[in-house]
Amino acid sequence: MTDTSVDVEALDRWIRRFAEEVSKNKDLLTDLDSAIGDADHGSNMDRGMSATVAALDEASSQGRPLTTAGALLKTVGMTVVSSIGGASGPLYGTLFLRMGTSAGDVEALDDAGFSAALTAGLAGVVARGKAELGDKTMCDALAPACAALDASLAGGAGLSEALAVAATSADTGRDATIPMLARKGRASYLGERSIGHQDPGATSVALLVNAAAATLGSRP
Amino acid sequence: MSEARPVSAAPLVGIVLVSHSAALAKAALALAGEMLHSKPVRIELAAGLDERTFGTDAVQILEAIQAADDGAGVVVLMDLGSAVLSAELALELLDDEAARERVLLCPAPMVEGLVVAAVAAAGGATRNEVCAGAVGALEGKRSQLGVAEIEPLRESGQLVAAEPGPSRESGQSVAAEPGPSLEGTFVVSNEHGLHARPAAKLVQEVRSLDAVVMLRNLSTGAGPVPASSLSRVATLGALRDHEIQVSVTGSHAREALDHVLALAGRAFDEDADSPGTPARGGRMAAGGHEPEADDSDRTEADDSEGTTPPDGPDWGTKPTSARPAAPGIGIGPVWKAGPLAALAVPDATTENAAADWRRVRRAIADVRREIRRSQALAVRDVGEGDAAIFDAHLLLLDDGDVLDDVHSRIDSGQAAAPAWATTIARVEGDFSALSDPYLRARAGDVRAVGDQVLRVLLGIPDVTAAVSGVFVASDLTPAQVAGFDAEKVKAVILAHGTPTSHGAILARGKGIPVVVGAGTSVLDIPDGTLVAVDGASGEVAVAPDDELLERFRARGRELALARITALARSSTPAVTKDGTHVVVGANLGSQEDATLAAKSGADLAGLVRTEFLFLGRSQAPDVDEQEAVYLALAETLGGRRLTLRTLDVGGDKPLDYLPMPLEANPFLGLRGLRLSLANPGLLADQLLACVRTAHATPVSLMFPMVSTVAELAEARRLLADAVVLEGRGTPPGLLVGIMVEVPATALKTEAFARHVDFFSIGTNDLTQYTLAAERGNDAVAEVADPYDPGVLRLIQTVCDGAGTALVAVCGELAADTRATSLLVGLGVRELSMTSSAIPEVKEAIRTTDLSEARHLAAQAVTAVGPEAVKALLTGHS
Repeated sequence: MTDTSVDVEALDRWIRRFAEEVSKNKDLLTDLDSAIGDADHGSNMDRGMSATVAALDEASSQGRPLTTAGALLKTVGMTVVSSIGGASGPLYGTLFLRMGTSAGDVEALDDAGFSAALTAGLAGVVARGKAELGDKTMCDALAPACAALDASLAGGAGLSEALAVAATSADTGRDATIPMLARKGRASYLGERSIGHQDPGATSVALLVNAAAATLGSRP
Repeated sequence: MSEARPVSAAPLVGIVLVSHSAALAKAALALAGEMLHSKPVRIELAAGLDERTFGTDAVQILEAIQAADDGAGVVVLMDLGSAVLSAELALELLDDEAARERVLLCPAPMVEGLVVAAVAAAGGATRNEVCAGAVGALEGKRSQLGVAEIEPLRESGQLVAAEPGPSRESGQSVAAEPGPSLEGTFVVSNEHGLHARPAAKLVQEVRSLDAVVMLRNLSTGAGPVPASSLSRVATLGALRDHEIQVSVTGSHAREALDHVLALAGRAFDEDADSPGTPARGGRMAAGGHEPEADDSDRTEADDSEGTTPPDGPDWGTKPTSARPAAPGIGIGPVWKAGPLAALAVPDATTENAAADWRRVRRAIADVRREIRRSQALAVRDVGEGDAAIFDAHLLLLDDGDVLDDVHSRIDSGQAAAPAWATTIARVEGDFSALSDPYLRARAGDVRAVGDQVLRVLLGIPDVTAAVSGVFVASDLTPAQVAGFDAEKVKAVILAHGTPTSHGAILARGKGIPVVVGAGTSVLDIPDGTLVAVDGASGEVAVAPDDELLERFRARGRELALARITALARSSTPAVTKDGTHVVVGANLGSQEDATLAAKSGADLAGLVRTEFLFLGRSQAPDVDEQEAVYLALAETLGGRRLTLRTLDVGGDKPLDYLPMPLEANPFLGLRGLRLSLANPGLLADQLLACVRTAHATPVSLMFPMVSTVAELAEARRLLADAVVLEGRGTPPGLLVGIMVEVPATALKTEAFARHVDFFSIGTNDLTQYTLAAERGNDAVAEVADPYDPGVLRLIQTVCDGAGTALVAVCGELAADTRATSLLVGLGVRELSMTSSAIPEVKEAIRTTDLSEARHLAAQAVTAVGPEAVKALLTGHS
């Protein structure tokens, strides 16, 4: 399975793909957020991910290419922290920064390494947001995705297959936020009225995991 | 605002303002600037993504913190939501550990906080003082609006030391309210000052007065504080011989002032045996009563710990140790059931003995209803075994000896409440004097039920449902736990108690951390004091400093992550190592249960106790109501299969609208399906509701307490009638099954198998019927062990004879991970349980190997007894 390792180029493709998906789904994210939040998740995420793509471009054009997985993920993390603006800034920032720390100074991650990094990111989001499963947050899509990725790899699946399962789990987790009562963030101010709406944060996380399934695990 | 300062001056604390809006931050800074008169305080802004874009940026905050830190540290003030998250991330990004230690994220409101913080910082205050002052800024507004007592401040070691400055002004503003205003002073005569008990007495009295009472400690300058708030009174630090000023406002100011001064003159009735209070036997406290010995313990604790724990020597920096009783981390303000909830029983005589006796009977009836409700909740949370404690409580209410004693006391002149209190105190004393430790512990049950009735008689509402924060009490009763809102009660600290007490077990079922045996000194921690509890290690930190608090929080986050990961895995199916799928379902008794089941990863609802629809009402729910409730459950479960068990009651759970004969032994009487067949109208309605539901969502229908094939045939005939009546034919996904609780039924599995799609074994009842021993009866409870090889043999018989029908277990054994591989080995393919156990049981299935499990099962059914079976299981796990 040597061709399934996640190298810097693959991570770069993943982030750019995520940025494209966010841009395509900007209105959807904003619409979801307008139902239960402050109607800025689409524009905030799009601003953050555009800035991130620009930062990646700049690094390579200035002859300072990002040569390790850790460096790339940290750059992504620091850029989203400074450009998203809402609560997604520190939360996505923590996700990528912790992934970067977990990845370390290596050129490529193996399957288990990528899974461990994503789980470290999840741990960061949990610690930062203090959310529990079922609180109608990003974690409701990210936690099942991490668990599915880990379990599939442990069961002998290749990264490509495992990420496909993870993406399905993220989608299922995202859909499961609809009947939930929000307990964190601005949506929680709505109380019972938050029930019946899909969580925007879980939705963007599902995009992130689907982007990983589409770009990692097999050579283009 | 970073003007140069003379180099010689000691560095001042810097301030960082984090806001979503650059304009808002600039305006707040200008406002604060007016107070500073160009004093050199560093205030850095980290606000907005740019001039126009709302948002916060952790990197910008990090740079602001570094710019503001002159060596004396930084206080960070934030507006809402992401401002807090970004500030926390900024701290994480700060590499210099020493610099990080110097940063304080301050929970004060941003605008008010900035004004006070800037002034304090300019005056050379430390960062703790700056932060405390900023938090105290809210106090002025609160007092002005007259809502001082609603929200106790977070009283960590630091914040208690808040600058009294702003609150002094607030005292004046209260005094300026319309209505007469009077002042008076008294000198504290209590040996240990105005500590918890006298303070509680004062607060209690003040709350009953129609006036606003403020106190100021003239000897120290502390205050003014509202006398209606125990946590605030504690901050006066009023010691013996301190002079306290009382300011009273309101239409009854004169009476109120006289009342408070008279109370002070009596040393706040601290001497419990002073004239006017009834004898000890007639005095009861809610969460447990302090015998004389405990009072002396507490005095000793006062001596060693000081009277105001937040200022005590070690409280804030190192945790104390208690016995762990239920795991988890809980952090919150103290909420005491102690002195405030003491039930003072007036020593009244009766004017109308017949009327008083009727009041007692009515109160008992009320409490009986309350206990049944608590029991239903407890069954849901922890299963029927541990919920059986409530049966003992119900029995006490029907105890002829108790009732006769109360009756004769009333006849001889005592009023209802003192008569009841005296009798209960006597019974409690009888139990306490027994040599058997288990029976001695039942004294607590007597007390618990006695208090419940006494509350009704005295018209004192039970505040249990309102408890929020960390509940501190002498002991914990099952009824109290049943009333707890698990979202609001962060933890429980008990001065006495054992980890195996029913209260602790019930709390564990609700996921509330508990420590016991913490010692009587915990009863003196003022209400509202912040405490942190680790229910796994037994550690308790009172008014922890930030470092200690963070240690508890970090542990809490670790646990949360572990739980999240286990939960995340629980939504995937449970398959044994060799690929056998075992369905894991939830037992439901309410709509909330369904929510919990969906969160916990239940594959289906393996048992819906439909009784919850029928109990506690004067008439049966009609078909439409039942259908609506079943459909709502299915929707909450995302369309997963519902196993609807028809009404399962008997003589022990009477219904107003269902006549039931008085039976000598209701457990061997007309119950379950037997009772339903005797009342076919009720059953016909329920079956029609089930058929309708089954046309919309997958339904399994299950009949309880079946003992003959003829009963099942009759029930199926009524079901066929319901299908015809409904008119759309047999619903496509409808499955029909029976509960196996009667040994004869297990032995006749083959005969039943032709008529059912599934069997569901109720191990609790099967165990008690097989071994002829009731688990609620302490004398034989040990005999009623579901691991008894006789019970296992019956389970095996069902699995072997079921043919193509599925065999499920929905009793408590299903939730016991020790039994998982054994049950799977016997042939069980569905386990249904209380939702909280699902993630662990799924994990247990994943580690099971079917051929090993079969081997284990073969050994278990031939073992000599339950202990041998358990030894076998632990040897294999």
